[in-house]
Amino acid sequence: MSARMSWRRVLIFAGLTLLASQVNAAGAANVANAAQIERGRYLATAGDCIACHSVAGGKPMAGGLAVATPIGAIIASNITPSKSHGIGNYSLAQFSQAVRHGVRADGAHLYPAMPYTAYARVTDDDMAAMYAWFMHGVAPVDAAPAQTTRLPFPFNIRLSMMAWNWLFLDKQPFVADPARSVEWNRGAYLVQGLGHCGTCHTPRNALMGEQASKQLGGANLGTWSAPNITSDVNSGVGSWSQQELAAYLRTGRSAQRGQAAGPMAEAIDHSLRHLSEADLNAIALYVKSVPALRDPNDSKPVTQWGQAGDKLAELRGVPLPKDLNRMSGAQLYDANCASCHQAKGQGSFDGSLPPLFHNSTTGRSNTNNLVMAMLDGVQRQGAGVGNADGYLMPAFRQTLSSEQIVSLGNYVQQLYGNPAGKVTLEQVTILRQGGAPSDLIGLVRGSLIVAGLALLLLILWWRRKED
Amino acid sequence: MAEQMTSDYLVIGSGIIGSLAARKLALAGASVLILEAGPRVTRGEIVSRFRNSTRRSDLMSPYPSVPTAPHPIYQPTDSGYLVQAGPYPYPAEYIRQFGGTTWHWAAQAWRNVPNDFRLHSLYGVGVDWPISYDELEPYYQEAEEIMGVSGADNTGSPRKQPFPMEPVIEAYAMRRVRERLAPEYKVVSNTTARNSVSYGGRPACCGNNNCQPICPVDAQYHGGIAALQAEAAGVTIRVNANVYQLEHDAQGRIVAALYYDADKNSHRVTAKTFILAANGIESPRLLLLSASSKYPKGLANSNDMVGRHLMDHPSTSLTFDADEDLWLGRGPQSPSSIGTMRDGAFRGTHAAYRLDFTNISRVDGATRDLISRGVYGEEFERQLRFSSAREMSLKTVLEVLPNPDNRITLSSEKDSMGIPKPQAHYSIGDYTRLGHQRAQKDFAAVARLMGGTNLRPSKEGAYANNQHICGTLSMGRDAAVSVCNEWGRAHEHANLFFCSTGVLPTCGTCNSTENGVALALRTVDHILAEQGIKPAPAPVASAGARV
Amino acid sequence: MSTDTAPIETGSRPFNPGRRLLLASLLSASAAALIPWALAEPVDNAGQGAFLGVSAILVGRLALEPGLARRLYAALLAQDARFPAQVGALLAQINQQSLNAATLQQALDEAQSPLASVPRQIASAWFLGIVGSGEAAVCVAYEEALNATIVGDILKPPSYADGAYGSWAVKPVEKQHG
Repeated sequence: MSARMSWRRVLIFAGLTLLASQVNAAGAANVANAAQIERGRYLATAGDCIACHSVAGGKPMAGGLAVATPIGAIIASNITPSKSHGIGNYSLAQFSQAVRHGVRADGAHLYPAMPYTAYARVTDDDMAAMYAWFMHGVAPVDAAPAQTTRLPFPFNIRLSMMAWNWLFLDKQPFVADPARSVEWNRGAYLVQGLGHCGTCHTPRNALMGEQASKQLGGANLGTWSAPNITSDVNSGVGSWSQQELAAYLRTGRSAQRGQAAGPMAEAIDHSLRHLSEADLNAIALYVKSVPALRDPNDSKPVTQWGQAGDKLAELRGVPLPKDLNRMSGAQLYDANCASCHQAKGQGSFDGSLPPLFHNSTTGRSNTNNLVMAMLDGVQRQGAGVGNADGYLMPAFRQTLSSEQIVSLGNYVQQLYGNPAGKVTLEQVTILRQGGAPSDLIGLVRGSLIVAGLALLLLILWWRRKED
Repeated sequence: MAEQMTSDYLVIGSGIIGSLAARKLALAGASVLILEAGPRVTRGEIVSRFRNSTRRSDLMSPYPSVPTAPHPIYQPTDSGYLVQAGPYPYPAEYIRQFGGTTWHWAAQAWRNVPNDFRLHSLYGVGVDWPISYDELEPYYQEAEEIMGVSGADNTGSPRKQPFPMEPVIEAYAMRRVRERLAPEYKVVSNTTARNSVSYGGRPACCGNNNCQPICPVDAQYHGGIAALQAEAAGVTIRVNANVYQLEHDAQGRIVAALYYDADKNSHRVTAKTFILAANGIESPRLLLLSASSKYPKGLANSNDMVGRHLMDHPSTSLTFDADEDLWLGRGPQSPSSIGTMRDGAFRGTHAAYRLDFTNISRVDGATRDLISRGVYGEEFERQLRFSSAREMSLKTVLEVLPNPDNRITLSSEKDSMGIPKPQAHYSIGDYTRLGHQRAQKDFAAVARLMGGTNLRPSKEGAYANNQHICGTLSMGRDAAVSVCNEWGRAHEHANLFFCSTGVLPTCGTCNSTENGVALALRTVDHILAEQGIKPAPAPVASAGARV
Repeated sequence: MSTDTAPIETGSRPFNPGRRLLLASLLSASAAALIPWALAEPVDNAGQGAFLGVSAILVGRLALEPGLARRLYAALLAQDARFPAQVGALLAQINQQSLNAATLQQALDEAQSPLASVPRQIASAWFLGIVGSGEAAVCVAYEEALNATIVGDILKPPSYADGAYGSWAVKPVEKQHG
C-alpha cells in the first residue's frame, strides 16, 4: 500500500470520527436543551409573559393586547419566534437586551409597560433558558398585532425612554444577600425579578417610576387597586402566616381574608398557581419581610373588620321606591347581593361564597376594589365552559346604576368593613369609564415647554453677556 | 293619534321568543322594533318582591298585574282577566312585561322526541307536524347555544353537536331517587337552560332553589336576558305599548300596529313585516281583536282556526314521605325526570307523559299544613323537620290532543284598558285521562321503591295547568285547518309571521319554550333567506363577555 | 323555674307601670312550666305580654327575638284592634285549663271558641313571618321566620344560595338542634 493511500484513509477516518462526535454532541445538546427549554417555560410562566403578549382567543405570545397606561394604550408585540413578525431573528444577547434593558434588536426603546426594570434582575442563566424556550417551545405566528402603539407627543419619541431609563433603570442583575436564607433569596429573586410584583404593588412617582422607598406599599392602577402587601400587620400581610400567603398565591382565596379579582386573579390563573410549592413559599417568605408601611386608616388588620349583621327589620314588608335609584343600601343589598353573600353578609356554609366582613376588600379604606368588584365581578379561569374564563361573581356594570353602586357600596362598607372607607359618585363615574385621565402628558409637555423656554432665556442671557 | 316611526320589522311581545327572533333579525342588519305591552322590570325588584311576598308559593306574587297591560291573577282572588268558559278551567299564568313569562320558568329546555312530529302517521291520533325532527334539529342546537343549555345525551332526542355544557350536578336527593328507582326506572337529569359553569357572562348555579319565581343570579336563562341581548344587538324595545289592533291594506298585507301607551294615548306604528310573539293567548286575542270588514272573523282567521286547538300539559301528582332523609330544597327546583313514557305504541290509546321529580323545598308548604292542623310547639318542630327531610313529590306532564273545541276567544267582558278580555274554552279528554290512569301505576311503583308512606295523590279529576300554551296558531300544510305554514307565516297574510308556542300543532310531552324558540329561529332564517340575506354568525355566547 | 320570678296568679296583683313587668307574672304555674326559658322576658303591657306568653308556648324551644316580637305584635294589632284582648283571653284560658301546645287547638275547636283562630294567627306570624291573610296580609319576616330557623342547619330559605356550584350534591349533615 502506498503512503498516499494510507493518509487518505486516515483523513477519511478522522473526518468520520469528527462527524460522529458532532452528531453525538448535538444529541447530548438536544437532551440538555429539552431540560433547559422546560426550565425556560417555567420561568416565562413566572414572568407571566403571556398575560400581556397574548389576547383572549389569540395565539400564545402573538401580541396584540392593548395595555392601558396613563399616556395611552401600548400594544404588546409579537414575541413568537416568527422570523417575519416576531423575534425569530433575535440572538440571545438581543433577547436579553430587550427583556432586561428595554431595548429592541433594532435599537428602539420599549416602554416600561414592559416591566424590564424588574426583569433586569434576571440572571444570565435564566435568560438563556427563557431564550431557548421562546425560540424552540413557542409556535411562530407570522402575523402582526392588529394595532400599533401610537402615543401622544413627546412619548411617541421612543428615545425619550433613554432619559427615563437613566433615572429609573437599575441594570444590575439580582445579587443574593449572604446574610439571608436560600429560601428568602429565591423569594427576593422571584418577587423583584420575574414576578415583577412591584410593577403593580409599588407606588410610582410623577414620572411613573417605582418609588424604591415604598416597595410593595400599594398603588392605584387606574381602576383596580393593588393593595399594600408589605409586612405591616394592619395594612399589609403581616398577620398572615407564610403558609396562608402561599396558599393564597396558589388559589386566589383565603378564608376570612379575601379573594383575588381583576388583574391579580389573572396573575394567579396564568402565572402564580403554576409555580412550585417551594417557589410560592419563598415568595411568601420574602413578601412577609418587606419593610412595613402603614396606612393611618388601618387601626387593625384589614382582614379583621366587621361582623355579621343585617337590616332585615327595615326591609320586610316595605315596598321599593318608585325611583329605583332611591333604593336604600339595604334594599340594594337584599335585591342583588344577599343571595350569595347571605342575609347577614356571612357567606355560604363553607365560605365558598365569601363573607363580606373579615374581607380585605371591605376592610381597606381604599374602596376602589369594592367598586370594581361590583362593576366587573370576579372572573377566574376554569369557571367557564371548557376551563375558559368565567364569572364566580357576576358583573353588575349593566345591572346597577352609578347612584346605586354608591348607596350599596357605602352600605356594605359601613356594615361589614372599615367605616372610614367611602364610595363617592365621582369615584364610581371615573372607575366606570376606565380610570381618571392622567396629568402626565400635560406635565411632560409642560416641562418641555418650560425647559425650552429656560434654554432660550439662557441663550439670550449668554448672548447679551457676550455683547 | 301620534304617527310613529317605521321599521323593517315590528315584533309584538318581548318574551324569550319575540326577543330572540328580533335579535337574530337585528344581527343580520335589519331595523327591528319590539312593542311590549307591559313595563320594564329588573331582576332585583323581582327578588325583593319575592322575599317580601305574603304568598311565597304563589309564583305570580312578584309579578303584579298592571292596569295598562293586565295579565291573569288568581291569588288571593281571581282577577277574572282570563275568562273561564269551561267546561274545564284553563287558569294559565303568564306575565306581560319586558322579557315575558320566562322570568319565572324552571328553565326546562327540552327538544321533542322525533316521533312527536308524526303523531298521526304513527299512532292515528292528533296531527303530524309540517316538518320533521331533522329539519328542526339545527335550530334546537342554535337555541341551546344562545340560552346555554346543560344536559346529557340520554333523553331520547338525537343531536349532532354536543350540549353547550354538561348537566347541572345532581342534588343528593335526586341521586338517591335515581339510585333507588334503578333498574325499574331510569331517572335522568333534565336538559335545562341552567349554567353548570359560568356561561354568557352569568355565573353557574349556586343552589338558590328559587328558579320559580325568580333566579336571583341569572344562572338560568330567561326572557329578561333575551330582551337585553336583543337591545344589545340593536333592537329597540318600547315598553308600555299595549298593541290592541293590527291594520291591513286592501290586499291583506298588515300595514300598522295600534297601541296604547301608559296614559292610554293611541299610537300607530308601521313596518314592512310583522311578527306576532305575544304568547299563545295574547297572540290569537290580537288577531281576533283586529277584525275588519274584509276579515270579519279577525286576521288570519277566515277558516275560523285562530285560537283553536288550545293545549297545555296538565299535571297530576303524588306526594309522599320517603323512608330516608332526602332534604329536598338543595339545588335547582326541577332537576330530574323519567322519560320512558314520552313515546310508545300506547300513544294510539292514551296520552304520553313525562314524570317530573320536584326538588322544591317543602318547608313553607309543610309549615302551612301543620298550622292548619293546629300542630304547635315541639311537635311542630319535629314534624316540620321530618317533612322537610322526607317529603317528596312527582308529577305527570301529560299530553293533550288538539281539539278544536278547546280554544281562546274574545269575551264580552272588557279589561282595564277597555279591550275585550281573552276567554278560555277547555276540557280534558279521555285520551289524557287514560294517560293519567296509566301513570298512577308509575306513581304507586315509585312510592313503593322509595318506601313511601302518607301517600297524598292529587285530587282525582283535577289537573294542574302548566302554562305551556300551544296550538292556538297551529302550523300546518292544510290551510283549511291551520293558521300558518311551517315557517310561521299566516296563510292569509304574506307579511305576518307567528313566533310563539301557539304555532305548535301538538304539544308532545316537553315544556314548550325550546320548541317555540327553535321554530322562531327557523322562521327568521326563512324570512332572511327570502330577502337574500344570510343570518350573521351569532357572537359566541361563551363564558366571557355578556352577549 | 327560677325562684326569683315565682309565678303569680294572673290578675291577683294590680298592674304597676312603675315596676318592670316580667312574663312570668302573667302565667299560671302550668303555663310557666312549659316555657321556663322565657319567664324573665320583660313585658311592655298586658297585651304584648300575653302575646309573648302564647308565642313562647306555640313555638316550643325556639328563641323569641325581641325586635321581631315587637314587629309581629304591632302587625297583629294593626290587623285587628281586638287582638290584645283576644290573646289576653287566650292566655287566661291556657292558664286556667292548663293547656299546652299539643292540647290547645283541639280544646278551642271542640268548644267552638271564638278564639280558635288566634293560635293560628300567632303561629303564622312566627313560623312564616306573615300576619293576616288575603289582600290584608303583611310580610314581617322571611329569613327570620322560625320555620327557616328550624331547618337552618341544612336548608337556606329559597332565594339564598346553598353554596358554590355543587354544594347540593353532598349528603347533608344534620346538626343537633339546640
